[in-house]
Amino acid sequence: MASIPMIDTVTGPSMSELWKTRHDKARYQWGSLGLLAPTFALLILLFLVPMGFAVYLGLTNLDLVGPTAIHSSFTGWANLIRLKTDSTFWSSLWVTGIFIVGSVVGVVVVGYVLASLLMRARPWMRMIVGGIVVVAWMMPAVTAGMTWYASTTGTGAFATLLGTPNTNFLDDYPLLVVTVASVWSMTGFSMLVMGAALRNIPSEAIEAATVENSSSWQRFRMIILPLLRPTMTAIVLLSGLLALANFSLIYIMTQGGPGSATNILPLYSYQQAFTYNNLAYGALIGNVMVVIATVFGVFYVRIAARRI
Amino acid sequence: MSEITDTRMIAPDDAATSNAPVMPPENLQTQGTKIRSATLHLILGALGVLFLAPMLWLFLASFDKNASWGVEWPHFSLINFKHVLTGSLLHSLWNSVVLAVISTAIASVAGVFAAYALSRRRIPFKGPLLLFIIFSSGVPLAIMVIPVYEIFSRYGFLSILPTAVFLSVTSLPFEVYLMKNFIDAVPTDLEEAARMERASTFQVLRRVVIPLALPGIAAAAIFGFVNAWGSFVVPLILISPQNQQPAPIAIYTFLTLPKPEFGNIAAYSLIFCVPVFILYVVSSRLFREGFVLGGGVKG
Repeated sequence: MASIPMIDTVTGPSMSELWKTRHDKARYQWGSLGLLAPTFALLILLFLVPMGFAVYLGLTNLDLVGPTAIHSSFTGWANLIRLKTDSTFWSSLWVTGIFIVGSVVGVVVVGYVLASLLMRARPWMRMIVGGIVVVAWMMPAVTAGMTWYASTTGTGAFATLLGTPNTNFLDDYPLLVVTVASVWSMTGFSMLVMGAALRNIPSEAIEAATVENSSSWQRFRMIILPLLRPTMTAIVLLSGLLALANFSLIYIMTQGGPGSATNILPLYSYQQAFTYNNLAYGALIGNVMVVIATVFGVFYVRIAARRI
Repeated sequence: MSEITDTRMIAPDDAATSNAPVMPPENLQTQGTKIRSATLHLILGALGVLFLAPMLWLFLASFDKNASWGVEWPHFSLINFKHVLTGSLLHSLWNSVVLAVISTAIASVAGVFAAYALSRRRIPFKGPLLLFIIFSSGVPLAIMVIPVYEIFSRYGFLSILPTAVFLSVTSLPFEVYLMKNFIDAVPTDLEEAARMERASTFQVLRRVVIPLALPGIAAAAIFGFVNAWGSFVVPLILISPQNQQPAPIAIYTFLTLPKPEFGNIAAYSLIFCVPVFILYVVSSRLFREGFVLGGGVKG
């Protein structure tokens, strides 16, 4: 399930203000550090330490089994050179890029369309369609992957619905199908967040534009889009991060195949570490994901920090 | 889960639908509106069907005693549910409960202290700490699973309890962020009154802050539970004993069998989804009744 950001247009202290230390205020309450201790101990031990360890691990020859499973040694740039010439890695990076962009565009567009249409629909329609989309979002990834697998087989729901029996969509268009499944599993969250943001748009603004004889495209372009921009940016970043880490859905549906058509980075990292036993190399691929996630994460912090 | 709002609550916005600069004659407008409304409902209906289609198999196959991968009208029977609620499959569901409850308890207890301190106290480097919390709430910490695997295997931790602790860390930052926002909204008057009566920090937390911020704390706990419950890759890698595997691994194992029992897989997956759906309904209620803090402070 996605974590939903607190998004609104209220502006608080800016990033630079948060980093400044205040000297004009009373002394720190040092006892408070005891309250923070459990949380930060957990985050240091199981987030920061593994992250640092992974940097080292990526530069060793550690294997899952065999002689180098216990006595591994530092091999410097060897793994990085291997990564540079590993065509599977570069194709995996490319597939990951397509998967993330496709997921994000789908989540934002379908989420917006649903939110704005449901706003004007009759209550029963809102309840049924909104309910279905939310159920899709809440469904655990393993279940979602399995029911998608079933629906894209030759006798599945899509073949029946589209009147093309014996078409196995997952074999024919693997990357497209897993991307659509990923959009399906995340749209509920963007629909709810965008619905809330749409309701916060003052109706006076829309009414004024209507009186001024604007077209509905102009109203969307000039009023709704600028006001929704912070919300949309947060959804883009969060769904991008979720898609990047979306191991379970693809693992259940295709295991990265056929060939390496849907082999996104988390799958390739897992494959190297636990199928080919190259734990160190798998960790290095994991580090590439950490770098990508950090870039997304920093942008996300810049948006979310506006409302601390 | 801060913005969870039932779509049913959305008020119809007529201003957005009418596109008329000058009021046209009455009947013309209603006709236009009718066509628009019909188109809108048609598009929504189509989207609803598209979203529903992939789920159909799950519901139909679980009640079908001769289920396959295809969608077909079921030969109705409850035999699948009877089959899967036995033996090791039932035990896997129990393992999921253990995993989710422990990880939720750790994250919620540790989180509420941190959230309180970050909301109320003057702490060195508070800004950077908060930014770090927000950053790690956005970044999926499950991508740390390979180094964590190596650490756990060195210390012999590849079992259910250490995995529950790691899962609690993956939801902790977001829980802290959510609870902090709720505690921020609790008025400080009651807390100051309790302080006057020489209440300790823990008493203030237990008697004043936690009861008043309960909707937020419950929502955070539900988020943590759902996160741990649905987690697949973390237990797949970190739990090695066969009898400690949670339900998602059992579902995956079903699929790898040479001759899968489709009806059983569907029924088991459906049972596995039920707690998540119930918790979603509960949490959306919590947010609707949400902040009823006004009554706490008189006059």
